[in-house]
Amino acid sequence: MRTKIVGLLMLASILLGACAAPATPAAQPPAPTPQTVVQTVVVNQTQIVEKQVVVTPTPGPDPEAVIPNVEPNAQITVWTFWLSPTFDSYVKDTIARFEKAYPGVQVKWEDHQATFRDDLNAAFAAGNAPDVINLSVTEGWVSQYATKGLLLDLDKAVPQSVKDTYFPGLWKQQLVNGDNYQFPYYQGIAIELINKQVYDKTGLKPEDFPKTVDGLPALCKTIKQKTGTLCDIRLTVSDLLSQMVYEAGAKVISDDGKKYTFDGPEAVAWLQMYAGMVKDGTVDRNTLVTTDDRVGLNLFTSGKAAFYQTGPNLIRDVRANNPGLYGYLTTVTAPVGKSGVVGKGLMGMSVNAKSKYPNAAVALAQFFTNAASNVALSKMAAVYPSTPASYDDPFFSAPSVAIEDSAKPVAKDYVSHLADIVPTLPKKDDVNDIVLHAIEPVLFNGADAQKALSDAVAKANALIQ
Amino acid sequence: MTKKFSFTPYLFLAPALLVTAVFIIYPIISVIYYSFTDYDIMTPPVWVGLKNYIELATDSTFWLAMRNSLIYLIATPTLIVLSIITAILVNRKLPGITLFRALYYVPAVSGSIAIGITWRMIFDSNGIINGILMTLGILKEPFQWLAEPALTLPLLIMLTVWAGIGYYMMVFLAGLQNIPEELYDAARIDGCSEVQKHWHVSVPGLRPQIVFVAVISSLAALKVFDEVYVLTSRTGGIMDSGITIVFYLWRKGFQLSHAGYASAIAIALLAVTLIFSLVNIRLQEHRMEAD
Repeated sequence: MRTKIVGLLMLASILLGACAAPATPAAQPPAPTPQTVVQTVVVNQTQIVEKQVVVTPTPGPDPEAVIPNVEPNAQITVWTFWLSPTFDSYVKDTIARFEKAYPGVQVKWEDHQATFRDDLNAAFAAGNAPDVINLSVTEGWVSQYATKGLLLDLDKAVPQSVKDTYFPGLWKQQLVNGDNYQFPYYQGIAIELINKQVYDKTGLKPEDFPKTVDGLPALCKTIKQKTGTLCDIRLTVSDLLSQMVYEAGAKVISDDGKKYTFDGPEAVAWLQMYAGMVKDGTVDRNTLVTTDDRVGLNLFTSGKAAFYQTGPNLIRDVRANNPGLYGYLTTVTAPVGKSGVVGKGLMGMSVNAKSKYPNAAVALAQFFTNAASNVALSKMAAVYPSTPASYDDPFFSAPSVAIEDSAKPVAKDYVSHLADIVPTLPKKDDVNDIVLHAIEPVLFNGADAQKALSDAVAKANALIQ
Repeated sequence: MTKKFSFTPYLFLAPALLVTAVFIIYPIISVIYYSFTDYDIMTPPVWVGLKNYIELATDSTFWLAMRNSLIYLIATPTLIVLSIITAILVNRKLPGITLFRALYYVPAVSGSIAIGITWRMIFDSNGIINGILMTLGILKEPFQWLAEPALTLPLLIMLTVWAGIGYYMMVFLAGLQNIPEELYDAARIDGCSEVQKHWHVSVPGLRPQIVFVAVISSLAALKVFDEVYVLTSRTGGIMDSGITIVFYLWRKGFQLSHAGYASAIAIALLAVTLIFSLVNIRLQEHRMEAD
C-alpha cells in the first residue's frame, strides 16, 4: 500500500514539475486561477494512466522581469553594504519579488558592514565572490574593481531600453575606459545640517550659508569668533583627487590620461584655503583628515558644531543619539565647488565578471535598482531613486513633515544633475595616498603648497610610468 | 643490533604537526613567496623578484614606522617598573585588597578595541580631559589631543602601558609571593628602609619574571596595531605620527591592496623580531653566567 502511495505522489510530482514555469521572464498577475485538467501519461508504451491533477496555468510576463535569457534554476548571491538590520524587510521583500518575477532563480543574501572591502577582496581572491555586489560610487569602489577586470561590463550586457530607465548622468558615472560597470542604486543629497543653537549665535541666517565652497573660511572664522566652536569639515581623504576636481575645478590628469597634473594654480589655491583654516584654528583637525565620516557626524551630534555636511539619511543617527538636538536642526543646500557640479552618485549595484549565472546576476542587480525597488527604499530612508519613473510615485509629491524629508521636493532635479566628472585615474589609490602624504605637512606643518603638490605629481607620474 | 622503526610516535605527533604546518609553516612560506611578487589579493600574484625589498629600503614611511615601533619599546621598561610597583602595593594583607587586584586586572581582560575607543573618547575634543581642564580654567578652548602629531605616539604608549600593567602585575605578584619572608626579615635587621628592602630583595628575586616580561612586552610593543588603529581612527595619526610597522603593513596590504609589498614588510619585521629576541636571550644568558 505504502509503495502505491509513494508511486502516486511521484507521478503527481512529475506532472506538476512538467507544468512548472520557466526561469526566463514570466510570472505576473492577474492572479492565475487554479483549474482542473486531464493529463494523459503513457507508461511502458502500453499502459495508459489517466489522472486528475490541479495545476496553475503559466501566468503572463512580469513587467519587472526585463532581462532576457536568465539561466533556469540559477543560484546567485548578493552582498549589500550596511543595509542590515534596519532594512532587512526591504531586502527580503525585494528578493521575494525578484524570485516571483524570475521563477526558479534562487537568491542568497548577505549583508557586510565595516569589513565589507576586506571580505570582498578575500572573496575575489578565493574565487567565491558574490554574483551581485552593492558598491559605493562615492568612494570609487566601482572603478577600482572594474579596472582589475573583476566586474561585468554592463554597457555590453544590458539592453538599451533598460539603460534608458536610469538618469543618464548616473548611468555614465564612474566609467572605466568608456564603459559602465554599475546599475545606479540609491542616491544621496548633500545637505548642510545646521544646529541652530550654535549657528544662531553668529547672527547669520541659515539662508545666508555660503553657496560655494570658497565661502567656508569666512564663515568658520565668524563661527569661531562668535561661538568658540570649530567647523566640522571633512576632506575626502580616500579620494582627494576627486575633491580637487569638484571643489577646485582642478585638472588632475592630462587628456591622454598619462600624466598627473594636480599641481596647477586651482589645486594649489584649494589646498591653501584649507591650510588657512587650520592655521586660523577654525576647523576641527581630527575631522578634517579622518577616513571615518562618523567622526564628524559624532562631533555634530554632540551639539558642539554649527553645521555638518551629510546626507538626509543620517539625520536619523542624530535623532537617535541626541534627541534633544533634533528640534534645533535645519538644513540648507550644500555649497558647490568651482566645477559647479553638485557631486557624484552614492551607490551602485555591480555584477561579478565571473558569475556562473551572469544573466540572472544582471537581472537581480537591475531588479534592486528598478523604479519600484527604488521607491520602496526611499520610503524607508531619506535616500533618492536613480530612476526618473520613481518620482511619479505620490510619495515624492506628498508634503514633507520630518526634516529628513526636507530635500524631497528638489530630489529629482538634484539627482538628475549628479555626474562623475573625474576621468579614469591610473593607480588611483596609490596616487591618493601620495596626495594625502603631500598635503598633511601643508595643512599641519606650514609646508609650501605648490612644492608639496609638485613633488606629489612627480611621484605619481613615476609610479604610472 | 638495529632499532625497529615505529610509526607510533609520529602518529601521536601528527595532529600537532598538521596544525603547525597548516597555520604556521604554510603561511610563513606563503608570505616569503608573496614578498617577491606584485599581489593585490584579488588577482593572481606576479613575480617581481627583489623589487619590493628594494622599494622598502628607500621607503621613508617604512623607516618612520620602524622608528616609531622601536620608540614604542619605551613601553617595556615603563611597564616593568610600574607593574612591579603595583604588584608590591597589592602584595599586602589588607582588607579588600583582592578587589584592587581584580580592578587592576580588568584592562587585561578587556578588548583592545574597547580600550582604544574609551581612550579616544577621553582625549576627544569634547572628552573628559578637556572637560576637566576647561572647568578648572586651565584651558579656554578644547585642545585637540589626538590631532597633535607630537602627542600621538606618547598617548599610544601610555594606552599600551595602562592596558598592560594589570597583566604583568599578576606575573610579578606571583613572583613576589615566592620570595621567602626570611629575606625581608634579614634586610630589616640589616637596617634597610622599605624602599631599600624591595630594591635589594624583591627586584633580584623577580629577575626571572623581569626577563619574561621584558621579552614578551617588547615583542608585543614591536607588533602593536589595535591601539593605533582605534586611537587614530585608522589613519596612523596626522602625518603618520603614530604609524607603527604592523599598522603600515595593514595599510599596504588591506587599504591599498599591495599584499606583496605588505609581505615584504612582514619579512622585515620578522627579521627585526628575530634579531631582537636573540639579543635579548644572549644578554640574559650572559647575565646569568656572570651571576
